[in-house]
Amino acid sequence: MDTFLAALFSGTSRGAIYALVALGLVIVWRGAGVVNFAQMGQAMFSTYIASTLIQNGNSYWVGFFVALFAGAALGAFLDILVMRPLSNKKKTELLSSESMRAAIPVIASLGILGVLQALAGIIWAAEERGFPAPAAQEGFTVAGSVMPFTSFDVFVISIVLITLTMTTIFFKKTGVGLAMRATALNQEVARLSGIRTNFTRTLSWAISGAASSLAGLLITPTSNLSPNTLDLVLIIGFTAAVVGGLDSPAGAVLGGFIVGLVISFVTFYLSPEDVFISILAVLLIVLIVKPRGILGGKDSRRV
Amino acid sequence: MLKIENLTTSFGSVIALDGVSMVAQESKITTVIGANGAGKSTLLRTISGLESPASGSITWEGQSIIDRKPEDIVRAGIAHVPEGHAVISELSVEENINMGSLFRRRINKSDVAASLDEMYQLFPRLQERRKQLAGTLSGGERQMLAISRALVSRPKLLLLDEPSLGLAPLVVEQIIDCVNTLCRSTGLTVLLVEQNANTALGVADHGILLALGKVVADRPAAELKADSTLRAAYLGY
Repeated sequence: MDTFLAALFSGTSRGAIYALVALGLVIVWRGAGVVNFAQMGQAMFSTYIASTLIQNGNSYWVGFFVALFAGAALGAFLDILVMRPLSNKKKTELLSSESMRAAIPVIASLGILGVLQALAGIIWAAEERGFPAPAAQEGFTVAGSVMPFTSFDVFVISIVLITLTMTTIFFKKTGVGLAMRATALNQEVARLSGIRTNFTRTLSWAISGAASSLAGLLITPTSNLSPNTLDLVLIIGFTAAVVGGLDSPAGAVLGGFIVGLVISFVTFYLSPEDVFISILAVLLIVLIVKPRGILGGKDSRRV
Repeated sequence: MLKIENLTTSFGSVIALDGVSMVAQESKITTVIGANGAGKSTLLRTISGLESPASGSITWEGQSIIDRKPEDIVRAGIAHVPEGHAVISELSVEENINMGSLFRRRINKSDVAASLDEMYQLFPRLQERRKQLAGTLSGGERQMLAISRALVSRPKLLLLDEPSLGLAPLVVEQIIDCVNTLCRSTGLTVLLVEQNANTALGVADHGILLALGKVVADRPAAELKADSTLRAAYLGY
């Protein structure tokens, strides 16, 4: 029973973070039509900024909020500097095929990832460093026995749930949210309605950047920080997004929790070595049964 | 008034518009007719900024609008309803309408609510379905929705691309009637592109016949409608 609870709690807490990563991917995919492989590179970069601030004597929260802001700024910056010039290029021969136009930004995002990791290595040296948690990482003690649930887990789950709720309200209830959804769904109709799609696309990148920076801040206390520790998180987050449906924010969240729980239960009941094969199995099953993901729509592009 | 001179738009080596010159008079319905592939849709898409022309000029209220972005052209008072009931199926009816007035929110918030109500009065059926996803509407309702989306931007010029496409004759009549009433009562300028020449010429003040990207006739609608030689040569009936 103890093992079960431990697996459940740790899976929920991890799953919440993967949900955040998946949400970041889904926002940029829907808002700008790009699978952003640089996402966790951006998160790594802003987590390093937080780490440096905290090491220099600032409080955790100064580092936390500066990192979120830096994540958003970096996302917006990448869109304006790299993605917008790529997509606004006059239709040359190379860009004339639909698949090339879709592939180029994805390849560019891989390039960005490489640049960010190299830069981080140059600035902060490539060795691992710890990153603090804002809450205790020891289990709660109930009736003399230590529960497998820490106050940091509570912090992670509640902050992720708040973020998800806020994002949902933002997209559903505000004018800017409507403009972003319209841009993602049909750019031509959006532009004809007077929506400045360049702006809403940049906003998608910024929001996604902030969300993934949050994921970086929440995962590094348990995984340590180095220029490429978050690569694995991106792969798992991407799997979560595909499992849930790459075009559905709710699906991303669901996929995040599913993958988190699978990883956790496999780790506790089987062995940590079986984690990857089990995630791949989940991915394969979902892709065979529902190729567009559990909550994926009808018209989305297949993975 | 919209004035177009020597407009040429091409896609690669295909010339879709070949030196088109025309005028859309204020508070009048001008219709552009012609067979499939005559360049009618390209004409509207070039006016609204979706395609950039190779040469020529488009002047709207005395100013050139060439090389302006679609989102700025809407703000200048030109609303485009593209071909094929262009609504966003995954958004609700109300969201589709509101989308068209988003840019006016900061300017005049109360007017945005008023314009939504106006659309519901114009098309009561949309009000009944306001929470439904646009994808669940019938073709006629979707066309009404697309027109509403364009109208809430409070345009002075409405570009309508084949509103009759794929709709039942009764629905077509209803939509054309509605556009006609709008033009006559509010002074809206309309540029109507149609394959269904008879319907279009019946309601329009002025008609322009397009063939292979060139203007072959530019006359009062009634005159064009009566010309059986042109009709036989270019429209095939």
